[in-house]
Amino acid sequence: MEQKLEIIHKHGGKKENMLAILLELQSISPEGYIEPETAALVAQELGMTKTRVYEIASYYAMLKVKPQAKYVLEVCNSSPCYFSKSDTILHILEQELDVEIGKATADGMFAVHYTPCVGACDIGPVIKIGDMVFGNLDEEKIRTIIGELRAAHVSVLEEVRS
Amino acid sequence: MNNKIISKRFGKLTDPASVSEYRAMGGYTAIQQAILTEKEHILEEIDKAMLLGRGGASYPMGRKWHHLYENPRFPKYIVCNADEGEPGTFKDKALLSLDPHSVIEGMLIAGYLFSADEGFIYIRGEYRTIQETFQRALDDAEQNGYLGQDILGVKGFNYTITIVSGAGAYVCGENSAMLNSIEGLTGRPRVKPPHLADIGLHKQPTLVNNVESFANVPVVLNMGGEAYRALGTEKDGGTRLICLSGHIKNRGMFEIPLGMPLDEIIYGEEYGGGMASGKPLGFIHFGGQSGPIGFPEQLEGLIYSYEEMRARSLAIGSGALVVMDDSVSVVEYLESVMGFFIHESCGKCTPCRLGTTRLHELLGSFVKGRAGQEDLSRLENMLTHITNLSSCGLGQSVATSVRCAIRHRRNEFAALIGN
Repeated sequence: MEQKLEIIHKHGGKKENMLAILLELQSISPEGYIEPETAALVAQELGMTKTRVYEIASYYAMLKVKPQAKYVLEVCNSSPCYFSKSDTILHILEQELDVEIGKATADGMFAVHYTPCVGACDIGPVIKIGDMVFGNLDEEKIRTIIGELRAAHVSVLEEVRS
Repeated sequence: MNNKIISKRFGKLTDPASVSEYRAMGGYTAIQQAILTEKEHILEEIDKAMLLGRGGASYPMGRKWHHLYENPRFPKYIVCNADEGEPGTFKDKALLSLDPHSVIEGMLIAGYLFSADEGFIYIRGEYRTIQETFQRALDDAEQNGYLGQDILGVKGFNYTITIVSGAGAYVCGENSAMLNSIEGLTGRPRVKPPHLADIGLHKQPTLVNNVESFANVPVVLNMGGEAYRALGTEKDGGTRLICLSGHIKNRGMFEIPLGMPLDEIIYGEEYGGGMASGKPLGFIHFGGQSGPIGFPEQLEGLIYSYEEMRARSLAIGSGALVVMDDSVSVVEYLESVMGFFIHESCGKCTPCRLGTTRLHELLGSFVKGRAGQEDLSRLENMLTHITNLSSCGLGQSVATSVRCAIRHRRNEFAALIGN
């Protein structure tokens, strides 16, 4: 609660910083979404109704109003990536994780989603995990990434980026 | 190109956020000069530069600046559109992360010229680490007296720049939707007119320009409008950052003078280097998903400039060139493009919200060989309707690429019609 208030106040509690506030609140949420309590707090602090907060949270693709998997793997499917074999990347992910696009694994660890262009078309096909973009992917790189995530060695991921 | 203009500092700064490094490479000289110059003279230089907006709509920057300058209402706001979201475009990302002070200096000159107190830069949410770099650059600029009160000792020249984050909505790259988003409203486009130079942010006169447009302003003032124009063609001044992606050998961002032959961009070893697969060129999608598609027979001898492109019903747009070799069916490609628009339609108006879905289904039925005899004319009718009835630029441009393909590859559609 205090941490959440701190984030809101850091951005001056201003409506123009609404998206930055919501994104940051979401980033500290254990389940990666805008929880109902968080939405209520933002509404109260920014002087708006909870409905308005939800209108905004549900409008923007990066904001989530439902609980998310621990690691959300977003496969770019905009045309520059799609025609650089991002569909192959998706198949490999689905097989490796035994999960369908749009769904989460049974243990809630991984989910695979599509994302529109992340502005990394020079290294497509790419996936985005949190703020990190992984490019020039092939089967081996994907196995490494998933292996590292399973072992929770997120920092090691830096090495396989780009 | 040996003499890079706008990308000359790329990769050469140890810390791109540092004012002293930017200054060591010629930075913050244009603002020094601007405060000693008649304001009308600054506008004249922008006019002479023949600088067309680098965001996508290619609106003459001089005209936009005059419009705002002549508006007697204050306060005025300066907004930088850094919501780069057109697939195949990643050049603003480079400017923001590799040379942020060039953008800040451009916004600063605008702040001075229009006597604005506040500037905003709306950076897409996906570029969060870039937002951090940019904030550090803003902090250092303030420390060095380029932002804040009485800037450079000019009494009453008070100006701040604030970063506003997007959160994943392509339509917020539309200027009026962006202003709504900055105001804390849902980022849906407004009905225009009024022009944003009359009724913009908080209903006040507002300038909205793209990242690359702002970064060009100090360049223009430093070298002079006429010399800047001469880098390009008679009517399209300067250089452009272009982004090559898809099946091209050398994917990446390049700076080229406007007026370069397209063949050199695609096949020149210094640039695209030809197709990665060695197969022939299939087609090029110009300027993002909302832009036109060009086929080889249209591209022969083409000069990459706004004017020449327009003459062939093509466009530069965001500077993206998504290059496909001939292994790709253009109809399948369009199905993917339409999938993007379904995701990004804001849902405000029906023709766009439902039209994108119906177009996607119809293109899909061609791809699957399930389209009937009447479906090609149905497709064409739908394209007309969605273009004429949608309220903003997004809906009005979803048909652009499909129309190009039907005009030049009608046989490919016809061949996919089943029984």
